Amino acid sequence: MKIKEKVRSFLGEHVNGKEFDDTDNIFEKGLVNSLFAMNLVTFVEREFAVAIDNADLDLNNFKDVNAITTFVERKLA
Amino acid sequence: MDMTYDIKIDPALAIGHKEELEKRIFFISADISGFELLTDEKQIQGIKLSLLSGADPQLIATNVNKVIQSEIAQQIALPPKVIWRSARHHQAYQEGLFDRLLEKEMVYEMGEGLVCFGDQLIRLMDTLDDVIKNMTVSQFAAQEYRYPTLIRTKALEKCGYFKSFPHMLMFVSRLHNDIDMYQEFQDNYRQKEGIGPYIFPLFKNADYCLPPTMCYHTYHQLQNTRYSENRNQVITSKGKSFRYESKYHRTLERLWDFTIREIVFLGSKDFVLECRQKYMKFTFDIIDKLGLEGHSEVASDPFFCNADSAAKIFNQKMQELKYELRLNVTGDRTIAAASFNFHDEFFGERFNIKRGETEWMRSGCVGFGIERLVYAFISQHGLDEKKWYEIIDPLAEVYKSK
Repeated sequence: MKIKEKVRSFLGEHVNGKEFDDTDNIFEKGLVNSLFAMNLVTFVEREFAVAIDNADLDLNNFKDVNAITTFVERKLA
Repeated sequence: MDMTYDIKIDPALAIGHKEELEKRIFFISADISGFELLTDEKQIQGIKLSLLSGADPQLIATNVNKVIQSEIAQQIALPPKVIWRSARHHQAYQEGLFDRLLEKEMVYEMGEGLVCFGDQLIRLMDTLDDVIKNMTVSQFAAQEYRYPTLIRTKALEKCGYFKSFPHMLMFVSRLHNDIDMYQEFQDNYRQKEGIGPYIFPLFKNADYCLPPTMCYHTYHQLQNTRYSENRNQVITSKGKSFRYESKYHRTLERLWDFTIREIVFLGSKDFVLECRQKYMKFTFDIIDKLGLEGHSEVASDPFFCNADSAAKIFNQKMQELKYELRLNVTGDRTIAAASFNFHDEFFGERFNIKRGETEWMRSGCVGFGIERLVYAFISQHGLDEKKWYEIIDPLAEVYKSK
Protein backbone atom coordinates (compact mmCIF):
# COMPACT_ATOMS: atom_id res chain seq x y z
CA MET A 1 0.00 0.00 0.00
CA LYS A 2 1.24 3.47 -0.86
CA ILE A 3 1.83 6.10 1.83
CA LYS A 4 -1.30 8.09 0.95
CA GLU A 5 -3.51 5.01 1.03
CA LYS A 6 -2.15 3.95 4.41
CA VAL A 7 -2.76 7.45 5.81
CA ARG A 8 -6.29 7.60 4.36
CA SER A 9 -7.05 4.16 5.73
CA PHE A 10 -5.78 5.05 9.23
CA LEU A 11 -7.78 8.29 9.34
CA GLY A 12 -10.84 6.44 8.03
CA GLU A 13 -10.75 4.24 11.12
CA HIS A 14 -11.01 7.28 13.41
CA VAL A 15 -13.63 9.59 11.87
CA ASN A 16 -16.76 7.65 12.79
CA GLY A 17 -17.77 6.94 9.22
CA LYS A 18 -17.63 10.59 8.10
CA GLU A 19 -16.48 11.24 4.54
CA PHE A 20 -13.42 13.36 3.86
CA ASP A 21 -11.22 14.49 0.99
CA ASP A 22 -7.45 14.49 0.89
CA THR A 23 -7.43 18.26 1.48
CA ASP A 24 -9.98 18.35 4.34
CA ASN A 25 -8.42 19.69 7.55
CA ILE A 26 -9.36 16.88 9.93
CA PHE A 27 -9.05 19.07 13.04
CA GLU A 28 -10.80 22.22 11.79
CA LYS A 29 -13.64 20.22 10.21
CA GLY A 30 -14.22 18.42 13.50
CA LEU A 31 -13.55 14.97 12.00
CA VAL A 32 -11.32 14.26 15.02
CA ASN A 33 -10.65 16.22 18.21
CA SER A 34 -7.32 17.79 19.06
CA LEU A 35 -6.38 14.90 21.38
CA PHE A 36 -6.17 12.68 18.29
CA ALA A 37 -2.90 14.42 17.36
CA MET A 38 -0.78 12.15 19.58
CA ASN A 39 -2.42 9.06 18.13
CA LEU A 40 -1.71 10.32 14.63
CA VAL A 41 1.92 11.22 15.28
CA THR A 42 2.51 7.83 16.94
CA PHE A 43 0.98 6.11 13.88
CA VAL A 44 3.26 8.05 11.50
CA GLU A 45 6.34 7.22 13.61
CA ARG A 46 5.59 3.50 13.80
CA GLU A 47 4.03 2.85 10.41
CA PHE A 48 6.70 4.63 8.37
CA ALA A 49 9.63 4.27 10.78
CA VAL A 50 10.38 7.99 10.86
CA ALA A 51 11.81 9.84 13.85
CA ILE A 52 9.77 12.90 14.83
CA ASP A 53 11.58 15.85 16.39
CA ASN A 54 10.43 19.17 17.84
CA ALA A 55 10.68 20.95 14.50
CA ASP A 56 8.26 18.44 12.96
CA LEU A 57 5.57 19.05 15.57
CA ASP A 58 3.62 21.54 13.52
CA LEU A 59 -0.08 20.86 13.12
CA ASN A 60 0.25 21.86 9.45
CA ASN A 61 2.24 18.65 8.87
CA PHE A 62 -0.69 16.56 10.15
CA LYS A 63 -3.78 18.52 9.13
CA ASP A 64 -4.95 16.49 6.11
CA VAL A 65 -4.12 13.41 4.03
CA ASN A 66 -1.99 15.35 1.54
CA ALA A 67 -0.01 17.18 4.25
CA ILE A 68 0.73 13.95 6.16
CA THR A 69 1.78 12.18 2.94
CA THR A 70 4.08 15.03 1.94
CA PHE A 71 5.57 15.09 5.45
CA VAL A 72 6.28 11.35 5.45
CA GLU A 73 7.78 11.50 1.95
CA ARG A 74 10.06 14.35 3.04
CA LYS A 75 11.20 12.46 6.15
CA LEU A 76 11.92 9.33 4.13
CA ALA A 77 13.78 11.17 1.35
CA MET B 1 10.09 3.70 60.43
CA ASP B 2 10.48 3.82 56.64
CA MET B 3 11.16 0.70 54.57
CA THR B 4 12.59 0.60 51.05
CA TYR B 5 11.09 -1.30 48.17
CA ASP B 6 12.41 -1.66 44.61
CA ILE B 7 10.00 -1.61 41.70
CA LYS B 8 11.07 -2.88 38.30
CA ILE B 9 9.67 -0.95 35.34
CA ASP B 10 8.96 -3.44 32.59
CA PRO B 11 9.35 -2.50 29.81
CA ALA B 12 11.86 0.16 30.86
CA LEU B 13 10.97 3.81 30.19
CA ALA B 14 13.03 6.07 27.94
CA ILE B 15 15.10 8.51 30.01
CA GLY B 16 13.25 11.38 28.33
CA HIS B 17 10.24 10.54 30.55
CA LYS B 18 12.18 11.19 33.78
CA GLU B 19 10.58 14.52 34.62
CA GLU B 20 7.02 13.37 33.87
CA LEU B 21 7.55 10.35 36.13
CA GLU B 22 9.21 12.27 38.97
CA LYS B 23 6.38 14.77 39.24
CA ARG B 24 3.73 12.04 39.65
CA ILE B 25 5.26 9.60 42.17
CA PHE B 26 4.26 11.31 45.43
CA PHE B 27 0.68 11.69 44.18
CA ILE B 28 0.35 7.92 43.72
CA SER B 29 0.29 7.23 47.45
CA ALA B 30 0.61 9.24 50.66
CA ASP B 31 2.65 6.27 51.98
CA ILE B 32 5.55 7.09 49.63
CA SER B 33 8.02 9.17 51.65
CA GLY B 34 10.87 9.26 49.14
CA PHE B 35 12.09 7.78 45.89
CA GLU B 36 15.11 7.37 43.65
CA LEU B 37 14.92 6.49 39.96
CA LEU B 38 17.14 3.58 38.92
CA THR B 39 18.49 4.61 35.54
CA ASP B 40 21.21 4.04 33.03
CA GLU B 41 22.13 6.50 30.28
CA LYS B 42 19.11 5.77 28.13
CA GLN B 43 16.42 4.19 30.28
CA ILE B 44 14.64 4.21 33.62
CA GLN B 45 14.77 0.59 34.80
CA GLY B 46 13.11 0.91 38.17
CA ILE B 47 12.32 3.00 41.23
CA LYS B 48 13.65 2.62 44.78
CA LEU B 49 10.75 3.71 46.98
CA SER B 50 10.89 4.70 50.64
CA LEU B 51 7.57 3.73 52.23
CA LEU B 52 5.99 4.59 55.55
CA SER B 53 5.48 1.69 57.94
CA GLY B 54 2.18 -0.06 57.35
CA ALA B 55 2.25 0.65 53.63
CA ASP B 56 1.27 -2.09 51.18
CA PRO B 57 4.30 -2.29 48.84
CA GLN B 58 2.65 -4.52 46.26
CA LEU B 59 -0.41 -2.33 45.93
CA ILE B 60 1.81 0.73 45.55
CA ALA B 61 3.95 -1.06 42.95
CA THR B 62 0.82 -1.98 41.00
CA ASN B 63 -0.40 1.62 41.08
CA VAL B 64 3.00 3.02 40.08
CA ASN B 65 3.08 0.72 37.06
CA LYS B 66 -0.53 1.59 36.22
CA VAL B 67 0.32 5.31 36.13
CA ILE B 68 3.45 4.63 34.08
CA GLN B 69 1.53 2.63 31.48
CA SER B 70 -1.55 4.85 31.27
CA GLU B 71 0.00 8.31 31.52
CA ILE B 72 3.72 8.25 30.82
CA ALA B 73 4.75 5.43 28.48
CA GLN B 74 2.34 6.72 25.82
CA GLN B 75 3.86 10.18 25.83
CA ILE B 76 6.21 11.16 23.04
CA ALA B 77 9.36 12.28 24.84
CA LEU B 78 11.06 15.19 23.14
CA PRO B 79 13.65 17.64 24.45
CA PRO B 80 12.28 21.02 25.61
CA LYS B 81 11.63 23.49 22.79
CA VAL B 82 13.33 26.70 23.94
CA ILE B 83 11.99 29.91 22.35
CA TRP B 84 13.94 32.58 24.27
CA ARG B 85 17.07 32.90 26.41
CA SER B 86 17.95 35.80 28.69
CA ALA B 87 20.87 38.10 27.96
CA ARG B 88 22.31 37.44 31.45
CA HIS B 89 24.29 34.24 32.07
CA HIS B 90 26.68 32.62 34.54
CA GLN B 91 25.76 34.48 37.67
CA ALA B 92 26.83 33.49 41.14
CA TYR B 93 23.94 31.86 43.01
CA GLN B 94 23.07 31.94 46.70
CA GLU B 95 23.95 28.76 48.60
CA GLY B 96 21.40 27.46 51.13
CA LEU B 97 19.19 30.45 50.47
CA PHE B 98 16.00 29.28 52.18
CA ASP B 99 17.88 28.38 55.38
CA ARG B 100 19.45 31.84 55.36
CA LEU B 101 16.00 33.43 54.96
CA LEU B 102 14.85 31.46 58.00
CA GLU B 103 17.95 32.39 60.04
CA LYS B 104 17.52 36.09 59.22
CA GLU B 105 13.82 35.82 60.12
CA MET B 106 12.85 37.05 56.67
CA VAL B 107 10.45 34.08 56.39
CA TYR B 108 8.80 31.67 58.83
CA GLU B 109 7.54 28.19 57.98
CA MET B 110 3.90 27.89 59.00
CA GLY B 111 3.16 24.38 57.65
CA GLU B 112 3.75 22.23 54.61
CA GLY B 113 4.24 24.64 51.71
CA LEU B 114 2.99 27.53 53.87
CA VAL B 115 5.30 30.47 54.47
CA CYS B 116 5.01 33.74 56.36
CA PHE B 117 6.94 36.69 54.87
CA GLY B 118 8.63 39.53 56.73
CA ASP B 119 8.59 43.17 55.64
CA GLN B 120 11.64 43.02 53.31
CA LEU B 121 10.19 40.29 51.13
CA ILE B 122 6.69 41.78 51.28
CA ARG B 123 8.14 45.01 49.84
CA LEU B 124 10.08 43.11 47.17
CA MET B 125 7.01 41.05 46.15
CA ASP B 126 4.82 44.17 45.99
CA THR B 127 7.42 46.16 44.04
CA LEU B 128 7.92 43.45 41.42
CA ASP B 129 4.17 42.93 41.17
CA ASP B 130 3.68 46.69 40.68
CA VAL B 131 6.16 46.65 37.79
CA ILE B 132 4.16 43.86 36.12
CA LYS B 133 0.79 45.43 36.89
CA ASN B 134 1.80 48.90 35.72
CA MET B 135 3.23 47.46 32.50
CA THR B 136 -0.03 45.55 31.96
CA VAL B 137 -2.25 48.57 32.56
CA SER B 138 -0.12 50.98 30.51
CA GLN B 139 0.62 48.70 27.54
CA PHE B 140 -2.56 46.59 27.40
CA ALA B 141 -5.18 48.96 28.86
CA ALA B 142 -6.05 46.27 31.39
CA GLN B 143 -8.87 46.64 33.92
CA GLU B 144 -8.06 45.41 37.40
CA TYR B 145 -10.37 43.37 39.64
CA ARG B 146 -9.97 41.88 43.10
CA TYR B 147 -11.71 38.53 43.54
CA PRO B 148 -12.92 36.73 46.67
CA THR B 149 -10.68 33.96 47.93
CA LEU B 150 -13.28 31.22 47.57
CA ILE B 151 -14.53 30.04 44.20
CA ARG B 152 -17.78 28.15 43.56
CA THR B 153 -17.21 24.44 43.00
CA LYS B 154 -19.50 24.67 39.96
CA ALA B 155 -17.22 27.28 38.40
CA LEU B 156 -14.19 25.07 38.89
CA GLU B 157 -16.15 22.17 37.43
CA LYS B 158 -16.88 24.17 34.27
CA CYS B 159 -13.14 24.79 33.92
CA GLY B 160 -12.62 21.03 33.61
CA TYR B 161 -10.41 21.06 36.70
CA PHE B 162 -11.87 17.92 38.27
CA LYS B 163 -11.11 15.77 35.25
CA SER B 164 -7.63 17.11 34.66
CA PHE B 165 -6.14 17.96 38.07
CA PRO B 166 -7.96 16.02 40.84
CA HIS B 167 -4.70 15.70 42.78
CA MET B 168 -4.40 19.46 43.35
CA LEU B 169 -8.00 20.17 44.39
CA MET B 170 -8.61 21.99 47.65
CA PHE B 171 -12.24 21.77 48.80
CA VAL B 172 -13.61 24.09 51.45
CA SER B 173 -16.20 22.63 53.76
CA ARG B 174 -17.90 23.46 57.06
CA LEU B 175 -20.21 21.81 59.54
CA HIS B 176 -23.59 21.42 57.90
CA ASN B 177 -25.95 24.26 58.79
CA ASP B 178 -28.09 22.29 61.27
CA ILE B 179 -28.45 22.51 65.04
CA ASP B 180 -28.26 18.71 65.41
CA MET B 181 -24.97 18.67 63.48
CA TYR B 182 -23.49 21.39 65.69
CA GLN B 183 -24.59 19.48 68.79
CA GLU B 184 -23.16 16.19 67.48
CA PHE B 185 -19.90 17.94 66.69
CA GLN B 186 -19.64 19.45 70.17
CA ASP B 187 -20.47 16.14 71.86
CA ASN B 188 -17.80 14.33 69.84
CA TYR B 189 -15.29 17.12 70.32
CA ARG B 190 -15.70 16.93 74.10
CA GLN B 191 -15.71 13.13 74.31
CA LYS B 192 -12.80 12.54 71.94
CA GLU B 193 -10.85 15.61 73.07
CA GLY B 194 -10.15 16.96 69.64
CA ILE B 195 -10.83 16.65 65.95
CA GLY B 196 -11.02 13.16 64.39
CA PRO B 197 -12.58 11.26 61.53
CA TYR B 198 -16.00 11.69 63.18
CA ILE B 199 -16.21 15.12 61.55
CA PHE B 200 -16.51 13.90 57.94
CA PRO B 201 -20.18 12.80 58.03
CA LEU B 202 -20.93 16.23 59.53
CA PHE B 203 -19.63 17.99 56.40
CA LYS B 204 -22.42 17.85 53.88
CA ASN B 205 -21.21 20.73 51.74
CA ALA B 206 -18.61 20.90 49.01
CA ASP B 207 -19.98 23.93 47.22
CA TYR B 208 -16.81 26.04 47.47
CA CYS B 209 -13.15 25.45 46.72
CA LEU B 210 -9.91 27.35 47.03
CA PRO B 211 -8.95 28.67 43.59
CA PRO B 212 -5.93 27.08 41.89
CA THR B 213 -5.49 30.15 39.71
CA MET B 214 -7.01 33.60 39.23
CA CYS B 215 -8.24 33.40 35.62
CA TYR B 216 -11.04 30.99 36.58
CA HIS B 217 -12.59 33.83 38.60
CA THR B 218 -12.54 35.98 35.46
CA TYR B 219 -14.42 33.47 33.30
CA HIS B 220 -16.90 32.94 36.14
CA GLN B 221 -17.34 36.72 36.46
CA LEU B 222 -18.15 37.00 32.74
CA GLN B 223 -20.35 33.91 32.37
CA ASN B 224 -23.49 34.34 30.23
CA THR B 225 -22.14 37.59 28.77
CA ARG B 226 -22.53 38.58 25.15
CA TYR B 227 -19.83 40.97 23.93
CA SER B 228 -20.27 43.01 20.75
CA GLU B 229 -18.54 41.34 17.81
CA ASN B 230 -15.66 43.84 17.76
CA ARG B 231 -14.98 44.01 21.50
CA ASN B 232 -11.69 42.87 23.00
CA GLN B 233 -10.73 43.17 26.67
CA VAL B 234 -7.80 42.64 29.02
CA ILE B 235 -8.39 41.94 32.72
CA THR B 236 -5.81 41.65 35.48
CA SER B 237 -6.08 40.47 39.07
CA LYS B 238 -3.87 39.30 41.90
CA GLY B 239 -4.77 36.80 44.55
CA LYS B 240 -3.93 33.79 46.63
CA SER B 241 -4.01 30.48 44.75
CA PHE B 242 -3.92 27.00 46.23
CA ARG B 243 -2.71 23.69 44.82
CA TYR B 244 -2.11 20.64 46.97
CA GLU B 245 1.51 19.71 46.30
CA SER B 246 1.85 16.49 48.33
CA LYS B 247 5.54 16.10 49.25
CA TYR B 248 6.69 18.28 46.37
CA HIS B 249 6.44 21.50 48.38
CA ARG B 250 9.84 23.17 48.62
CA THR B 251 11.22 26.49 49.92
CA LEU B 252 9.48 29.35 48.07
CA GLU B 253 9.73 27.37 44.84
CA ARG B 254 6.64 25.23 45.29
CA LEU B 255 4.01 26.32 47.82
CA TRP B 256 0.48 25.08 48.52
CA ASP B 257 -0.61 28.64 49.14
CA PHE B 258 0.90 31.22 46.82
CA THR B 259 0.20 34.45 44.93
CA ILE B 260 -0.59 34.79 41.25
CA ARG B 261 -0.67 37.99 39.20
CA GLU B 262 -2.92 37.03 36.33
CA ILE B 263 -3.68 38.74 33.03
CA VAL B 264 -6.57 37.47 30.87
CA PHE B 265 -6.97 38.39 27.19
CA LEU B 266 -10.49 38.13 25.79
CA GLY B 267 -11.59 38.73 22.21
CA SER B 268 -10.90 37.46 18.70
CA LYS B 269 -8.38 34.71 18.12
CA ASP B 270 -5.99 37.16 16.46
CA PHE B 271 -6.30 39.64 19.33
CA VAL B 272 -5.63 36.99 21.99
CA LEU B 273 -2.66 35.48 20.16
CA GLU B 274 -1.17 38.90 19.39
CA CYS B 275 -1.58 39.93 23.04
CA ARG B 276 0.14 36.77 24.25
CA GLN B 277 3.03 37.36 21.85
CA LYS B 278 3.37 41.03 22.77
CA TYR B 279 3.10 40.21 26.48
CA MET B 280 5.92 37.68 26.22
CA LYS B 281 8.10 40.29 24.53
CA PHE B 282 7.45 42.79 27.34
CA THR B 283 8.06 40.13 30.00
CA PHE B 284 11.36 39.02 28.50
CA ASP B 285 12.44 42.67 28.33
CA ILE B 286 11.60 43.09 32.04
CA ILE B 287 13.54 39.92 32.91
CA ASP B 288 16.57 41.20 31.00
CA LYS B 289 16.32 44.61 32.69
CA LEU B 290 16.12 42.86 36.08
CA GLY B 291 19.40 41.15 35.16
CA LEU B 292 17.91 37.69 35.62
CA GLU B 293 19.08 34.49 33.98
CA GLY B 294 16.44 32.20 32.51
CA HIS B 295 14.71 31.01 29.39
CA SER B 296 11.26 30.33 27.95
CA GLU B 297 10.09 27.00 26.54
CA VAL B 298 7.00 25.19 25.30
CA ALA B 299 5.30 23.55 28.29
CA SER B 300 2.29 21.56 29.44
CA ASP B 301 -0.01 21.43 32.46
CA PRO B 302 0.33 18.73 35.19
CA PHE B 303 -2.57 16.53 34.00
CA PHE B 304 -3.02 13.49 36.24
CA CYS B 305 -5.26 10.47 36.77
CA ASN B 306 -7.02 10.66 33.44
CA ALA B 307 -6.86 8.34 30.43
CA ASP B 308 -6.34 11.41 28.21
CA SER B 309 -3.41 12.88 30.19
CA ALA B 310 -0.74 11.87 27.65
CA ALA B 311 -2.81 13.12 24.69
CA LYS B 312 -3.58 16.41 26.45
CA ILE B 313 0.10 17.00 27.23
CA PHE B 314 1.06 16.21 23.65
CA ASN B 315 -1.66 18.46 22.23
CA GLN B 316 -0.59 21.39 24.40
CA LYS B 317 3.00 21.01 23.27
CA MET B 318 2.23 20.44 19.60
CA GLN B 319 -0.05 23.45 19.35
CA GLU B 320 2.23 25.49 21.63
CA LEU B 321 -0.74 26.39 23.82
CA LYS B 322 1.54 27.01 26.80
CA TYR B 323 4.94 28.63 27.25
CA GLU B 324 6.73 28.92 30.56
CA LEU B 325 9.25 31.49 31.72
CA ARG B 326 11.84 29.49 33.67
CA LEU B 327 14.30 31.37 35.90
CA ASN B 328 17.47 29.94 37.40
CA VAL B 329 17.70 29.34 41.15
CA THR B 330 21.07 27.61 40.75
CA GLY B 331 23.44 27.35 37.80
CA ASP B 332 21.64 24.29 36.47
CA ARG B 333 18.17 24.38 37.99
CA THR B 334 15.25 26.55 36.92
CA ILE B 335 11.71 27.14 38.21
CA ALA B 336 8.63 28.23 36.25
CA ALA B 337 7.97 31.84 37.27
CA ALA B 338 5.30 32.62 34.66
CA SER B 339 3.23 30.94 31.97
CA PHE B 340 1.64 32.29 28.78
CA ASN B 341 -1.43 30.33 27.70
CA PHE B 342 -3.86 30.18 24.80
CA HIS B 343 -7.25 28.52 25.48
CA ASP B 344 -8.93 29.29 22.16
CA GLU B 345 -12.71 29.02 22.71
CA PHE B 346 -12.58 26.51 25.59
CA PHE B 347 -13.63 28.88 28.38
CA GLY B 348 -15.91 30.95 26.15
CA GLU B 349 -17.95 27.86 25.40
CA ARG B 350 -17.83 26.47 28.94
CA PHE B 351 -19.00 29.77 30.49
CA ASN B 352 -21.28 30.86 27.64
CA ILE B 353 -19.30 34.02 26.85
CA LYS B 354 -20.11 35.09 23.32
CA ARG B 355 -18.64 37.59 20.92
CA GLY B 356 -21.36 38.69 18.54
CA GLU B 357 -24.27 36.40 17.74
CA THR B 358 -22.52 33.12 17.09
CA GLU B 359 -18.83 33.22 17.99
CA TRP B 360 -17.50 32.00 21.34
CA MET B 361 -15.13 34.37 23.11
CA ARG B 362 -11.50 33.33 22.64
CA SER B 363 -9.19 33.68 25.60
CA GLY B 364 -5.62 33.41 26.77
CA CYS B 365 -3.88 34.25 30.01
CA VAL B 366 -0.55 35.01 31.61
CA GLY B 367 0.15 34.07 35.22
CA PHE B 368 3.14 35.10 37.34
CA GLY B 369 3.99 33.17 40.49
CA ILE B 370 5.07 36.11 42.63
CA GLU B 371 6.86 34.08 45.33
CA ARG B 372 8.78 32.17 42.67
CA LEU B 373 9.74 35.36 40.87
CA VAL B 374 11.05 36.78 44.15
CA TYR B 375 12.89 33.56 45.00
CA ALA B 376 14.64 33.53 41.61
CA PHE B 377 15.46 37.23 42.04
CA ILE B 378 17.13 36.78 45.44
CA SER B 379 18.76 33.50 44.33
CA GLN B 380 20.53 35.52 41.65
CA HIS B 381 20.96 38.94 43.28
CA GLY B 382 21.41 38.04 46.95
CA LEU B 383 19.91 39.55 50.08
CA ASP B 384 21.24 43.13 49.98
CA GLU B 385 18.02 45.18 49.92
CA LYS B 386 19.79 48.32 48.66
CA LYS B 387 21.02 46.44 45.62
CA TRP B 388 17.50 45.14 44.89
CA TYR B 389 16.12 48.62 44.41
CA GLU B 390 19.12 49.87 42.44
CA ILE B 391 18.09 47.21 39.90
CA ILE B 392 14.30 47.59 40.11
CA ASP B 393 13.76 51.34 40.58
CA PRO B 394 14.75 52.45 37.05
CA LEU B 395 12.41 49.82 35.61
CA ALA B 396 9.60 50.76 37.98
CA GLU B 397 9.96 54.40 36.83
CA VAL B 398 9.56 53.42 33.16
CA TYR B 399 6.08 51.98 33.65
CA LYS B 400 4.97 54.29 36.44
CA SER B 401 5.41 57.32 34.18
CA LYS B 402 3.38 55.88 31.27
